[in-house]
Amino acid sequence: MLTVGMLAPAELRSRLSGDGLVLRTGPFTNLIRSDVPHLIDTVALMYADYPVEPGGGFADFHLDYRRSRGLRRWFRSQVHFAYDGSTPFQPLPLAQAYPMLEWTMNWCVSHRAHGYLIIHAAVLEKHGRGIILPAPPGSGKSTLTAALLGHGWRLLSDEMTLVRPDDAMLVPVPRPVSLKNASIDVIRAFRPDAVLSRPVEETTKGTIAHVKAPRDSILRAGEPVRAACVVFPRYEAGADLALTPLPKARAFMELADNCFNYQVLGARGFAALGELIDTSDAYTFRYSSLPDAMALFDRLAQGAA
Amino acid sequence: MWRLTPGQALVCREWDGEAVLYNDLSGSTHLLDGAALDVLFALRDGPADAAQLAIRLAHGFDTDGGDLAAALGDMLSALAGLDLIESC
Repeated sequence: MLTVGMLAPAELRSRLSGDGLVLRTGPFTNLIRSDVPHLIDTVALMYADYPVEPGGGFADFHLDYRRSRGLRRWFRSQVHFAYDGSTPFQPLPLAQAYPMLEWTMNWCVSHRAHGYLIIHAAVLEKHGRGIILPAPPGSGKSTLTAALLGHGWRLLSDEMTLVRPDDAMLVPVPRPVSLKNASIDVIRAFRPDAVLSRPVEETTKGTIAHVKAPRDSILRAGEPVRAACVVFPRYEAGADLALTPLPKARAFMELADNCFNYQVLGARGFAALGELIDTSDAYTFRYSSLPDAMALFDRLAQGAA
Repeated sequence: MWRLTPGQALVCREWDGEAVLYNDLSGSTHLLDGAALDVLFALRDGPADAAQLAIRLAHGFDTDGGDLAAALGDMLSALAGLDLIESC
């Protein structure tokens, strides 16, 4: 299997600036083109372990990231995104090219991949037990996810839980984990082994850095998992650890609210979510200490709360 | 008299006395308590008014038919507001 890391830097640049790099992320193929040098370098770092598919075939998503032309090339240069030839978003400062790539790759899945029920949630696996972490921004979901990846958990996704409608299995689409602001230094201290992209300041979400997905998670992207727990996390400074059972019907409603396409799938989405909740215990979870949270999640992986 | 709104298949899941129900007409999902679900399933047997429903449901509730009929009024209005049932 050819991976991005096997391509010589000149070959990677040539593909990205030419006919495109066909990158596989879970069940999707992404045809990526770009002439932004630091974006190419960051893709080489963050996507080194990802499979590269041959060019010329079908790709699910066609993504194009180009520098401004004309005078703007040298004055406050920007990165322009095009999807299948259309431009759904305003350009961003050139320094934000890599966060833009991650955001737009997420957008492609959440707005196009309606073959799955898509929950706005992180999802991880240990000992064959899938744990879904739905949460609004600021809840500490991504910090918790990045921390768990250093404790033997497999990443299925930091942002989008893909549920197969026919059997409610969770389909991996492991990608870099997005950290914001203070979380960046928290994870640097907690997981010195983690590979992070260079922090990008002054984005609409503040300072952003991404954590590289573990190689094992990428290699196992073809292995779906059954949901065992749905945990709604909330970081609260100084708070004691608290795991509180949530009635299943309420967990169902909360999950439905966190879906990108529940309404699109209609009765199929209802059936898939029902099957998922059937096999899952549901909890709300409050934490302030990452080591305590790691120990509790290990108990969840063993099937004990 | 009340009946199930035509087209409602009452696709639902129930856990621990609470249920979620898929509304086939609006595409919405409703969180219902078990009693509301009992009322909907009782109407599956045919149209009924509150007094008749109370008789159908009496075996599952710890109250006599008269109290139950009075309590059913609000619930029937709420279910009608969701287009799950309609007057006939």
